[in-house]
Amino acid sequence: MTAYLIRRLFQMVIVTVLSAMLGYSLLYLAPGGPLLFLQQMQNTGRNRVSEEDIARLKARYELDLYLPVRFTRWLAGFPSGPLQVGGLNLLPPDTVVGCAIPGQVRLRYPDGTVEIREEGCERVVTLADLESRRSSRGILFGDFGLSQQIARDRPISDLLMSRLPYTLWLMGVSTLLAILIGVPIGIYSAVRQYSRFDYAMTTITFVGSSLPTLFMGVMAILIFSVLAKDAGLPYLPSGGAQAVRDYTIPWIGRVEAGSLLDRFLRFIMPVSVLTFFNIAGWSRFVRASMLEVLRQDYVRTARAKGVQERLVITKHALRNALIPFVTLLAGVLPTLVAGAAITESVFNWPGMGRLLVDALGRSDYTVAMAILFISTVLVLIGYLISDILYTVVDPRIRLT
Amino acid sequence: MGIFSKRPTAIVALMAVLVPILAACGGAPAAPEVIRETVVVVQTAEPIRETVVVAPTAEGGTPGTTGAAFTTPHPILGDPKVRQAIAYCTNRPELIQSVYSYLTPEQQEGLLMDTNLPKTHWAAASDADGIVTYPFDPEKGKALLEEAGWKLEEGETVRANADGVPLTLEFTTTNAQFRITWATVLEKQLLDNCGIQIIRKHAPASWWFGSASGLRRRDFELGAYAWVGEADPGGRTLYACDQIPLPDNNWNGQNYMGWCNQSASNAITAANNTLNRDERIENYKAFQVEFTKDMISLPLFQRLEAYGWNKALQNMKPDPTEYITANAYEWARSDNEDTIILGFTQEPDTMFTLVSSAAVQRQAAQLVEGVLTTQYNYDFQPVLQDGLSTIESGKAKNEVIEVKEGDTVWDATGAAVELKPGVELINSDGETVTYQSGTVKMNQLTVTYDLIEGITWSDGEPLKKADLELGVKIVCDPKSGNVSLTFCESHQGAEGMNVTSDTSYTITFLPGVQWPTYYLAPYGGYPSHLELSDGRKLADVPAEEWATLPEVAETPLGYGPYILKEWNKGQSLVYEANPNFVLGEPKVKNVVIQIFADTNAAVAALLTGEVDILEKATLGAGPEVETVLKAAEEGKIEARTDASPTWEHMDMNLFVR
Repeated sequence: MTAYLIRRLFQMVIVTVLSAMLGYSLLYLAPGGPLLFLQQMQNTGRNRVSEEDIARLKARYELDLYLPVRFTRWLAGFPSGPLQVGGLNLLPPDTVVGCAIPGQVRLRYPDGTVEIREEGCERVVTLADLESRRSSRGILFGDFGLSQQIARDRPISDLLMSRLPYTLWLMGVSTLLAILIGVPIGIYSAVRQYSRFDYAMTTITFVGSSLPTLFMGVMAILIFSVLAKDAGLPYLPSGGAQAVRDYTIPWIGRVEAGSLLDRFLRFIMPVSVLTFFNIAGWSRFVRASMLEVLRQDYVRTARAKGVQERLVITKHALRNALIPFVTLLAGVLPTLVAGAAITESVFNWPGMGRLLVDALGRSDYTVAMAILFISTVLVLIGYLISDILYTVVDPRIRLT
Repeated sequence: MGIFSKRPTAIVALMAVLVPILAACGGAPAAPEVIRETVVVVQTAEPIRETVVVAPTAEGGTPGTTGAAFTTPHPILGDPKVRQAIAYCTNRPELIQSVYSYLTPEQQEGLLMDTNLPKTHWAAASDADGIVTYPFDPEKGKALLEEAGWKLEEGETVRANADGVPLTLEFTTTNAQFRITWATVLEKQLLDNCGIQIIRKHAPASWWFGSASGLRRRDFELGAYAWVGEADPGGRTLYACDQIPLPDNNWNGQNYMGWCNQSASNAITAANNTLNRDERIENYKAFQVEFTKDMISLPLFQRLEAYGWNKALQNMKPDPTEYITANAYEWARSDNEDTIILGFTQEPDTMFTLVSSAAVQRQAAQLVEGVLTTQYNYDFQPVLQDGLSTIESGKAKNEVIEVKEGDTVWDATGAAVELKPGVELINSDGETVTYQSGTVKMNQLTVTYDLIEGITWSDGEPLKKADLELGVKIVCDPKSGNVSLTFCESHQGAEGMNVTSDTSYTITFLPGVQWPTYYLAPYGGYPSHLELSDGRKLADVPAEEWATLPEVAETPLGYGPYILKEWNKGQSLVYEANPNFVLGEPKVKNVVIQIFADTNAAVAALLTGEVDILEKATLGAGPEVETVLKAAEEGKIEARTDASPTWEHMDMNLFVR
């Protein structure tokens, strides 16, 4: 078991670095970024931007460094200056690590035409130049760096911590409710296969898993917020985690902004949508898994031996049927932290999922990468936990 | 029953049902076969390579080299008659109708533009000034095309010239739905009305506005995009002869049409190099006459912008060229509420204005910083500045001085340089000359800027000389994150500024600097007395740290009408009235900016009364505007639409590469 864990941890580190490299490279290639606005404005008058200004801005956001150097600085805060061991330089301090101002060559063609092309580098960035720059300790050491757009020049960790409680609260409650409701429904549907309850639940869960949360969210707002209010009925606030000013709801009365009741009312719709969506998927999964187990010989044997049906279901069938469900739950861990992007956006919930959407929309790739990196690590941890849980729920499985 | 039990019959029956359905769902008439030709680029010899010394980007570009690319006139658009015909054949009201159908005919009419300046701009020319207007007149368009040799043969839909070349042009723009909508209408108009075929190409914005593609490389025939009009019209980089992007000037400049009309170029250059408002207007009008006559860029329409607000709010001043928060100190409510809530769909990135350019940031920061001047109705008005520092007011002087070799001057390209032989500069007569030796007469601008007396920081500390000195020091420090240092360089930073009192300073600009908006106070103050959480004084903090300081980026101290009390990330910014505001404590005690994930949610909140104001950047001009206008018609809220300073236009590339 120990050897297995060490091996898995080693693999996790490699997978994490590889996926980070891939994600970083893809975002590096994506258009946009902190300098995009410069291309869409009249470059004239008092606010004219010179080549020197652009070079300065590029340096500020590390856009003048070559991709591998940017990546290692983001990942591990390395290099942050000349590489020295015991006062000796491993690489010359003038080793080129980027280009501040691209070079230009004038091409004179035989037909008389002339063209200037960017080629080479007019002013390079060296290892020695990095010494005077601000530098993070690297994401591997818990330093996510600074945001480039959403909270310009402010620590990404502050940004994440301001959103994390909202996501944990939303995802935690909805996941718990979905398990508490969805698993029993799945079991009961399997045990009472083809009953009215089974048909009803199958239909509902089929609809639930077919509808995207975006649609469900918008419909929920329309019905329980807009139409209910227009009809003079009690309604639920359409979004946000808390109100800015007090409001009145029929039958309930005045709701104080920021009160527990206000927060609870705003929590109901997003958590319901996510719970319903998860129940739909998970109850179908548990039902299918239970049906498969209930057809196994050992269940038939247990029944033939005269074991009580309740024990057959809970002791013999359920424990085996839940083994694949454990794998499914491993995927919950990253969403607990990374949030539900669409649901959070629809309900204006200030969580991590909405932050990721904002970060991608506003080309704040350092923030997006931080969230993707955390998700990657959590996915890997989730799978490790599920592997370990296998041995708990199924003694036949041994990790070697 | 028996008939369907036979498999072949069943298959035929199934096909008979499916085929019409598939045809109805996705079927399209068979397209004519496209003939593909491979283009072989023949390069007989290697070009000669020369290293180019990268000079700072300047307004004065390099003139095109004879024999270089883009010297062959476009075979169709090179003819002004065709360009004018395109203008006459374009039914612009119909384009406006296609995207803003919910507006009244009068409102739609208000979005039409005739020149490169909105009709309400102080420098806009009218028919009386001699501009050529292009109302929808297909007959006139067809006549011009006939004159130009583009005939429509019997039975044909597209015109062709004597060589049988069809009148077909590629039309490039972004793939935004808004542009797809009106471009579809334009395509039909030109074909149906005048036999001009355009092939629409909707490219991603990243390509169209890319630094080495699309517009920048003049890779288009007809190209549509938008410019944003400003109180100071600028325009030199867009239309002057030396601003044509070419391969041999490394694509510098924004005159993407490749238009060089010397009269127009001189006029727009002069308009940007003079301080006298009347002379500027005269030059801008002369420019617009040439601009409309040559028809190198067809102004299509101004975009729409809209605002919605609670009926209880008073003194709202929505304006195309100013943010709604600019007069927040005048806001009031007719009911008993003491809070005004603004809805934003984008959270401000920082409160440190120097490092951001977002509209939401400006508005959030204005509440705390206050405004020295405003830009209502395409013009300038003083607020915390004590009157505009114009020459007429006696606060500014533009003297003729003599400069000699070794002096630092502002050269013709707009850069601070040491005067030496070969430097091009603009002399006191407005002529561009090359310095050889001796002395040259140049204009030197000296301006005194006064802020109104009694400005006090929200913590009660009065504004001091040290605050103003700190202001220029940080703004002009390259490490602070300031994007453009051009203005600082034009007076050599703190060196050229003399703070004469707690509310007054004088800037002596370099010889040759002639900023048309010289009368606007460029610097406010920073609270030098502010003590940070780590015990340091703000004045002692190096510029490179400023953007990362919570006391600067998140809860700054200002002398504006409101104090930012709380910033709940992703949710809201909570302000309360500044009792020390120099123009009096605001009547509304609290202002809150609430962040929404999208415009729909923000509009829903406006209609349910959860939000009081949605301004132009949040509301946009999409279908949500219609909802807001309907609600206003029903008397639920107040709403207003304006012609935005952002205007759609269609550039015509006059040359082929």
